[in-house]
Amino acid sequence: MSVTGPAVSLREGLRALERAYTLGHHGPAVARRRAALVDACLVELFDHAGAPARVALVATGGYGRMVQLPASDIDLLVVHDDPASIAQSVDALLYPLWDAGLAVGHAVRTAEECLAATERLDAWTAMLDGRLVAGDETLAARALAPVQARAREDAAGFARRLRDAAGARRDRFGSSAQLLEPDLKEGSGGLRDVASLGWLATALGVDLERAGVVRARERAAVDAAEAFLVRGRSAVQLLTGRRADRLVSELQPDVALGMGFVDEPNLLATDGLMRALFEHARNVEHVVALAVARVMAGATDVGSVSVANPAAILEALADAADRGEVPSVGLLNAVEDVPVPDPVAWDTRTRDAFLRLLRAGERGSAMFDVLDRMGLLARFIPAWAGVRCRPQRDPYHRSTVDAHLLAAAARMADLLTGSGDAGDPLEAAAVSHLERPDALLLGALLHDVGKIGTGGHVPIGTTIARDTLEAMGVAGADRDLAVFLVQEHLLLPDTATRRDLSDEDLLLDVAARIGTPERLGGLYLLAKADAFATGPAAWTPWRETLVHELVAKVQRVFDRGEMGEELAARLVERTERLRQLLEGESDDRIERFILRVPRSYLLAVDPGRAAEHFRIVTPPLGRNEVRTAATVGSRAGTYEVVVVASDRPGLLSWIAGSLAIGGISILAAQAFTTEDRTAIDVFEVEGAFEPEITEARWRAFRSTLRRTIEGSISLEHRVREKGRHYPRPRTPSPVSVRVLNDVAEFSTVIEVGAPDRIGLLHDITRTFADLHLGVHLAKVATFDGRVVDAFYVRDELGRKVTESGMLADVEAALRERLEA
Amino acid sequence: MKLVTAIVKPHRIDDVKDALREIGVSGLTTTDVEGFGRQRGHTEVYRGAEYQVDFVPKVKVEVVVDDGDVEGVVDAIVKAARTGKIGDGKLWVGEVDRVMRIRTGEMGPDALSG
Repeated sequence: MSVTGPAVSLREGLRALERAYTLGHHGPAVARRRAALVDACLVELFDHAGAPARVALVATGGYGRMVQLPASDIDLLVVHDDPASIAQSVDALLYPLWDAGLAVGHAVRTAEECLAATERLDAWTAMLDGRLVAGDETLAARALAPVQARAREDAAGFARRLRDAAGARRDRFGSSAQLLEPDLKEGSGGLRDVASLGWLATALGVDLERAGVVRARERAAVDAAEAFLVRGRSAVQLLTGRRADRLVSELQPDVALGMGFVDEPNLLATDGLMRALFEHARNVEHVVALAVARVMAGATDVGSVSVANPAAILEALADAADRGEVPSVGLLNAVEDVPVPDPVAWDTRTRDAFLRLLRAGERGSAMFDVLDRMGLLARFIPAWAGVRCRPQRDPYHRSTVDAHLLAAAARMADLLTGSGDAGDPLEAAAVSHLERPDALLLGALLHDVGKIGTGGHVPIGTTIARDTLEAMGVAGADRDLAVFLVQEHLLLPDTATRRDLSDEDLLLDVAARIGTPERLGGLYLLAKADAFATGPAAWTPWRETLVHELVAKVQRVFDRGEMGEELAARLVERTERLRQLLEGESDDRIERFILRVPRSYLLAVDPGRAAEHFRIVTPPLGRNEVRTAATVGSRAGTYEVVVVASDRPGLLSWIAGSLAIGGISILAAQAFTTEDRTAIDVFEVEGAFEPEITEARWRAFRSTLRRTIEGSISLEHRVREKGRHYPRPRTPSPVSVRVLNDVAEFSTVIEVGAPDRIGLLHDITRTFADLHLGVHLAKVATFDGRVVDAFYVRDELGRKVTESGMLADVEAALRERLEA
Repeated sequence: MKLVTAIVKPHRIDDVKDALREIGVSGLTTTDVEGFGRQRGHTEVYRGAEYQVDFVPKVKVEVVVDDGDVEGVVDAIVKAARTGKIGDGKLWVGEVDRVMRIRTGEMGPDALSG
């Protein structure tokens, strides 16, 4: 059967073409040859079909533009004016193609139906690419001319429809300029966007450059992008053998190899491919968006704009951003004529204009993109060269590093103006306490600037950010805050999701690292802006709840003055001093000790004493073991004694009781509990009867305590007996008890004031033990015969006591015991 | 076969994973979840702004194991997830009727190993 002949030879011809070029070299010229082969086949088929009268065979879409890809459909429009006989003609044309296994997309319409079909934008634009292949020329013109005229009637309206459709495609297919597995046809910046420039030209009825809609350089950039995209998409289709448009990860190594990319230092071949692709697709996005906006605005006047220097470039772009405009052709031409040194020497004007752009949010970021497309952004910020179009391969990020940075900065600007997430009370509170918004914008812009393909991005980024800000002339507190934000931008999310937020020392450490509430607020806002710019998976309600908890708790640490810049500095200094004093011990053991003891211990206990405690605390403790060490105290006649034992309910009361029985008065006490529940209790004491406390008396004390812990003696009776030998104060001062639940995050604080007497501390702490409360931290002091104590207590589950009945019980029990 | 499901604190999940790996469990599924048990939601305050936390973030761990391995797996999870404080979570064990490895079609315990 001879009519299958042309289709079969087309198939053979297409296969020969496939083999004629290596993968990755099927560019526009090959696509044109492919279209020409199809043309020839169709002409022959049309003749075989008897060249039906009043029928026109029109190539549409990519085929119409002579861009026919290896596995793309052959898009055909059959125009006719005789519905009765057309079916037979169409069958004669299409069956041979189908039989030969070729994919054909076809429409059969009368001229009137063609005009009606313009209601659907994709049908309309396909026809705008229409090209007569065979048949009745007059009929084809009659069908296509009104379709073009309709676009010309209202070019601005047509441009708006293109813009809306591009937005919808972007929502559905994402951006070819950012996605790691981009759709090369439908994605934003893909081949459909390239084609839309042609449709715009048709709508204007004149060449886009002549119309002042696209500049020569822009046109050249899009042509280069089209060539690259055609090669890439052809390679995808040749590799899969299907009409595939998505450059998925599995195909990237082969496509990269085919297109001539090789591994380079800090850039894999596949990343090189993606980087080049992103670069091209971004040019397309950029030029098409500008062209569409210019046609919509009707602002096709090239005009003359004068721009004198780099600062003026930024000012002009900031002006345009403030007015909500895209930069005009005239402006960009003028910008291109400005000699921009590499790198730019920043001055106040440059900096002010740059900050204006940052504050303008999304519109400002778009202007940075304009600068970048012109190759100028990296002259202002040399570090930008390292992150431009750099792909990020992780489960969260969906954009390139530079696009992510611009998006984060834009989001930060939104947050700072209060147009972020209205449902987040932390955000509003953080914003309202800010003093240095510009530092936050700069921090957001630079937070990932260290992602340059080598080493840990945070330390690298911190150095780059500092140098960049230096060059920009950002100094003092603004620079410090911005650098801090870059350095610590992962602290909140990482800590919140991986660490125990009910660990008091963790909160103190985080607070010490952050230092001030303003920095905390800044980090929170950056975490949100970063997550927003990253993608939907980066900020789930789950993560938000955890980050909120951390931020609120650290803020309360600041509010209560438990940590701040001064205390953090003191903590660092004391810890360092302790390390020096312990020189010679293994680093491992020193660090373990520092991590074990609470921060309150390091802040309260002199490093010299802590170094002595190290030797007592470090060797493993037996279950009932008690270790004590006594030294001469700071005042004459006083001693300092430390008691180390496994913590258990009642321990403090037993120690206090054992001291009382030994005739030892407690002047001051501090009780600490380590992470692994070892009690380190430090007492300042003096002899009650005899001032000198001999080793024999210490031994007696240790023995009493050990036997109490072992349960072999009861202290109560003995302490009471001992009390009888001591004079009671003549004028008893009143007992005061205050229960405070808002001064510590994880403990209820109980303040007790009472006249001093033997066994007093024992009585107080015994009361806690009776009520099953553990003493986590205690501060005991004696002034002039009166004891003022603060106890940080927790219930059996390690929680604050919140039940009001229990709180009342504690107070009543203490009063009863102390007033008796 | 049994399905062991545990709800644990987020910061314990790495320890749970390590503990299970140590006893030879080769696969598990984790999910970020939110809920509440005895440890109810609460009100938080940040710089004067008050907000309600209704659900507490946790991680759900799911492991399908052979009947004989249940005790070991339960033990490992409980030990690794326990902090002794409120909110350490819950664990439950349920019956599993069928397990299939989708790639090979292997059924039952064969689908669990390796």
